[in-house]
Amino acid sequence: MPTGLDFFRERPRLAFVLLAGLLLLLPFLVGGGLGNAWVRVLDFILLYVLLALGLNIVVGYAGLLDLGYIAFYALGAYLYAWLASPHFGLHLPFWMVLPLGAALAGLFGVLLGAPTLRLRGDYLAIVTLGFGEIIRIFMNNLNAPFNLTNGPQGMNLIDPVSVAGQSFSSPLRIGELVIPSTYLYYYLFLAMTLLVILVAMRLQDSRIGRAWAALREDEVAAAAMGINTRNVKLLAFAMGATFGGLAGGLFAAFQGFISPESFTLWESILVLCMIVLGGMGNIPGVILGAILLTAIPEALRYIGDLQRAVLGHVVVDPADLRMLLFGVALVAMMLFRPAGLLPSRQRKREFGAQDAVAEQEQADLYDARA
Amino acid sequence: MAAQLLRVVGVSKRFGGLSALDDVSLSVAQGEIYGLIGPNGAGKTTLFNCLTGLYSLSAGEIHLGGAAIHGHKPHQIVAAGFARTFQNIRLFANMTVLENVMVGRHARTRAGVLGAVLRCARTRGEERAIHDRSRELLDYVGLKHKGRGLACHLSYGDQRRLEIARALATDPQLLALDEPVAGMNPSERREMGALFLKLREGGVTLLLIEHDVKLVMGLCDRVAVLDYGRKIAEGTPENVRQDPAVIAAYLGSEAP
Repeated sequence: MPTGLDFFRERPRLAFVLLAGLLLLLPFLVGGGLGNAWVRVLDFILLYVLLALGLNIVVGYAGLLDLGYIAFYALGAYLYAWLASPHFGLHLPFWMVLPLGAALAGLFGVLLGAPTLRLRGDYLAIVTLGFGEIIRIFMNNLNAPFNLTNGPQGMNLIDPVSVAGQSFSSPLRIGELVIPSTYLYYYLFLAMTLLVILVAMRLQDSRIGRAWAALREDEVAAAAMGINTRNVKLLAFAMGATFGGLAGGLFAAFQGFISPESFTLWESILVLCMIVLGGMGNIPGVILGAILLTAIPEALRYIGDLQRAVLGHVVVDPADLRMLLFGVALVAMMLFRPAGLLPSRQRKREFGAQDAVAEQEQADLYDARA
Repeated sequence: MAAQLLRVVGVSKRFGGLSALDDVSLSVAQGEIYGLIGPNGAGKTTLFNCLTGLYSLSAGEIHLGGAAIHGHKPHQIVAAGFARTFQNIRLFANMTVLENVMVGRHARTRAGVLGAVLRCARTRGEERAIHDRSRELLDYVGLKHKGRGLACHLSYGDQRRLEIARALATDPQLLALDEPVAGMNPSERREMGALFLKLREGGVTLLLIEHDVKLVMGLCDRVAVLDYGRKIAEGTPENVRQDPAVIAAYLGSEAP
């Protein structure tokens, strides 16, 4: 409600402390209330927030429709598996592997970007879609002649993250307190997410961010304003891919197992839906979209149990129902909130009270140069 | 005579079999207002697009301040000091008025990804300078209090002004304006005319495509007339007005 939000808007420090406290205690609240499985869901929510923030740079900021984004997630995950699993006998520490995975994904972002520079809209979407599938199919088939990816069986026994001798796959004991593995990953993912949010916010509000926005609005005019559209596009692909690669490395460490099945076209579309549902280009919107589209399908699993309890048997398979509701939600959103649940600031400004702002502006404007 | 700023030599542009520009040569001196007129379809905008790097030339050379700029990319030409506006206004519609101008500072600033993420002192200083300069330019073109609104919410005339402010943000030596007063009423036209004179006093050379002959005659130091992709006349407004070829192009030739 607006009054509630205003209350916190006037007290930013209080809001910050409350939010920080909530985020810190969240796994305990969720784990205590709903069980450990939901803390795992929480971890996945954070991974998807990372992915959505990365894709948001490409789609939301620069306006380049990318349907193969999950390929960068896959690259980050596979690089982690190659460098930290028994597969090649390498066991590099996570702080070394994660940046490498992000960098590899960033490099592939540029490799994908370079041939697609002249494409826009639908055409770009088709090419990126193809790229995403190519990466997945490569991972699926590179078990011969040289076993690089172990094919469809996937790669197993990937090293967990470990800090100062404490492996994140086993619970941390501090005296009486036992912090389970999923909680530890929650804090790691939370830290990464906050870092990525900071980077994304600062990028948006910078010379580079404005160049991306200009590119999205009108490429010809952007070039006529002195923007090197080629470099700026490649930069958007690279930055988005870097975040995807980072998330992929975290995913591999968290799961301990990856296979090409985790990186299907469906995942790319899901991440795109999160952005569209939440509000393209707006960080809080994108985060909300990722939370909703990860949490709601999990919650809908209970519908099967509910049917069994009420009707005695399962009438509608929950998996089918999830897809149905998912579709209905997206259609409803397109009808009622086409700009997303939390639209970007540009759209908000159209309705916002401008008088106070205008007065402030008048106060500190400069004299005519004449 | 003042130094030549822009020198166009034998520029041709063909689209398939259609010759849109045919061996056009002209030169613009430092500090003048140079008009480019001609009937619809004469190739004025095509010439602009060739000059600013949006089209590649079929033949010919373009020099800006002594350096060749033909074959360069649009952003390189802007960096060389040649900015433009568009006939069918091309603002960044969903960005604010101020942000539109700030984008124009791109060519004159340097902060990259690292600077943006780390926000070191230099980046912050640069951002502040971009902000200040952009507000100054809005003030200069007469959009002082409209910086916060979206560009697409400006009135038509103000959108034209914003395009000029945005182009000025690139610090051009030469500013090419493509029909900047099209669709304006007489008083708005007079205001725009005053703005052009102010720009010239500020040291910007203007290249102007315009249909409003009265405005062109009143403002321009020299005028070139294009017809069917050829330059048919060049000179002071008075001379051009009496040129039989120009009269024929506009009104049709007399019956024999």
